[in-house]
Amino acid sequence: MPSQLEGAMDAMIKVFYNYSGNDGDKYKLNKGELKELLTSELTDFLTSQKDPLLVEKIMNDLDSNKDNEVDFNEFVVLVAALTVACNDFFQEQQKLKDK
Amino acid sequence: MPSELEKAMESLIMVFHRYASKDSKNGTLSRRELRDLMENELSGFLKSQKDPAAVDKIMKDLDTNGDGQVDFEEFVSLVVGLSIACEQCYKMQLSTGGKKH
Repeated sequence: MPSQLEGAMDAMIKVFYNYSGNDGDKYKLNKGELKELLTSELTDFLTSQKDPLLVEKIMNDLDSNKDNEVDFNEFVVLVAALTVACNDFFQEQQKLKDK
Repeated sequence: MPSELEKAMESLIMVFHRYASKDSKNGTLSRRELRDLMENELSGFLKSQKDPAAVDKIMKDLDTNGDGQVDFEEFVSLVVGLSIACEQCYKMQLSTGGKKH
């Protein structure tokens, strides 16, 4: 029976592979697959950004080896950064509540 | 309705805070809280380590600013490393066709 943390790590891998397997290299996200993943899985994040070129910019930032594909190592860094941002927001909310 | 990915991210935050709030320093994991978290949430990983000092070594690696506490950003780097290791296993299973033994 996986723990909650193991379940979360498992989910990240499964989500990645749901989109990466659609075309081309099954183990990497091309630009189209990344856009689909972001629009379906991170709708709130995208709508809060208001920049239509955002997906392009994210792709450029994530694709550190410049092969026009985002592999899991590169993808997980995005998830980590977003989670840290969410946690900062959560902790701010907690501080406001405690006042 | 949150997506799978959003739920996963939320779980990371909830798990961290469940253990980090056990002592008076609520936003960070002490060595004891980290050990508690790893024994309960990552028991499979710990068992594969075979080194009784694994938790201490991990604590030292994670505590990049040396304040004896692991904050959320430092914790997330552990999760990233473990997820990458899990993904390698998953990829190998996929490429061997997931043969049943």
